[in-house]
Amino acid sequence: MLALRLARGSRPVVQLRRLLVAAASAGTGFLLLYVLAGAVDRPAGSFPRLLWALVPLAATVHFAVAVARADPSTRPREGLDAAGLGPVRLTLTAAISTAVACTLGSAMALAVFLHLRGDLAGLPFDGTGARLLHAEQPLPLAAALILLALVPVTASAATVLALRPHRPLAPQTALPWGIALTACGLAVEAYAGRDGGGVLAGWALTAVGLALAGPGLAYACGSLVQAVRPGALRLLAGRSLQEQASRIGPPLGVLCSVAAGALTALALRDRGGLHVPLGPLAWPAAALVALCAAATLLTSAVEGRRSGAAGREAMLDLAAPARVLRAAAGLRATALVAVCVPLSWGVAQLTSLALTR
Amino acid sequence: MVAPPDNAPPDNDVLWARSLHYAHGGAPALVDVSLGVRQGEIVALTGARGSGKTTLLRCLSGQLLPSEGEVWFNSVPVHTMGDLSRERLRRDRFGWLGPEPQLLPELKVWENAALPLLLTGASHRSAKHAACEWLDRLDIAAFARKRPAALSRAECQRVALARALVTVPSVIYADEPTAPLHRSDRALLLRTLTTAARSHEITVLLATDDEATAAVADRRLTLVDGRLAGTADASPLPDTPEGQAACSLSA
Repeated sequence: MLALRLARGSRPVVQLRRLLVAAASAGTGFLLLYVLAGAVDRPAGSFPRLLWALVPLAATVHFAVAVARADPSTRPREGLDAAGLGPVRLTLTAAISTAVACTLGSAMALAVFLHLRGDLAGLPFDGTGARLLHAEQPLPLAAALILLALVPVTASAATVLALRPHRPLAPQTALPWGIALTACGLAVEAYAGRDGGGVLAGWALTAVGLALAGPGLAYACGSLVQAVRPGALRLLAGRSLQEQASRIGPPLGVLCSVAAGALTALALRDRGGLHVPLGPLAWPAAALVALCAAATLLTSAVEGRRSGAAGREAMLDLAAPARVLRAAAGLRATALVAVCVPLSWGVAQLTSLALTR
Repeated sequence: MVAPPDNAPPDNDVLWARSLHYAHGGAPALVDVSLGVRQGEIVALTGARGSGKTTLLRCLSGQLLPSEGEVWFNSVPVHTMGDLSRERLRRDRFGWLGPEPQLLPELKVWENAALPLLLTGASHRSAKHAACEWLDRLDIAAFARKRPAALSRAECQRVALARALVTVPSVIYADEPTAPLHRSDRALLLRTLTTAARSHEITVLLATDDEATAAVADRRLTLVDGRLAGTADASPLPDTPEGQAACSLSA
């Protein structure tokens, strides 16, 4: 109840972010139900389809965790701490509000899915949906509920893991692991050729590798920006980039890997393309993953902005021109784009080389 | 203090304010405050918490615009300036030292101290030189290459003092700078502040509610509920205009 009360009182922007989590969860839930209905109709080859549907699931969970971290009501607050609501219980509160948002999305997905199949009342769109969603076979209830519970359960568990009180690692720590995993991913893709499962495993390895390497890359980016006798602008931009590297790095790496995947798919489209066994829902699923990755990065940036609020106040007391602060933010973004675009392009080139060998 | 009849402030005052009024969302914080401060003077602003000391400092330093009244710095009206020129004035001529050190955690100690110079566009080399010189004078040169997180609170506050002094401003506004410190650290910080002010002819407005801190000032102004209660020399203690007011109330 407390989680709901805290959630109800928060600002519209926070509510909008939770609504976006619910929407992402709804999209993923719909996709999972579609895969289930397909499996009931035609069991052969349904396992790879389920595996591909795990990609949007992972993106949704990542986004939900970012939103929970950026949520002001999950931050330890003196008033709540004095009332006995310390960091541990606040973590549970955050997990509950994440679960609420995701469950709402799952319920919406179920309702829309059943409605399109004509299971609820009438059949919309002249039955196109019914054919697409294999309405002739009944949906196994327990399986559907388990699949729909996947998003809320994993998102809440990941929220607890991410928000538990722990000492942060230095951003450069995981860089070698990240590079190694990315290389492994590319190698797996090269060996697997254009077989769906191998491509998926390779791409997942690349994504995890880039997510691990992201903080180190962002840190290196910051180091470059503030190198060699910096003035106020480069000093502020570079150092704050270094400071925020461990927060903004992982979503940046994930976005890079998603962009690399999209570029690969575009490059391979003329030559038969990637085989994604999600049928007509492949494009919506790809869009969902891309939107989730972008939204996660934006949310992490917003969170970073809030954690830098004290510093900004100090700068205003020093009468720092707002122009310098804006220019520093612009410089930070430019530096990140300047690293990420070539990185995505390079990974995409290597992937398509490996796949068309 | 009675305002002079003509519109312009007296020439010998570096900082001069007339009938300042300011309200925080309807609650009056400053009521009809007038004062003049001469160059190189150290003035203590005393008063209980919530008596309007910080608001007065922010009005005088151009961070807040008074809803009524005038603020003049070196015969230049501050209350009619645009935002940009007020910002430039604060950057070039004023220093600010708050109750919290407000150091940027991602910058090294010398970079924090050099930040005001870097913001005015000084070169990296000259800013570093000036900052390290001030850190040396404040006995914290050994920490110059460390991050603020590695320093104690008193050391951080001394870095903040170095940051306020590094541009050698005309006026330093010190808002309860010793509030979070122990007594020995307080004495050290105040001694450094007053020594630097005297040797560089810097005017200091020192807001505090601590008697010992106020004792270092040349002059003392007391704020009571946003009004200037009276002026007195720093020693002996003020001859309680508040007390008289209380008597007349009880009579």
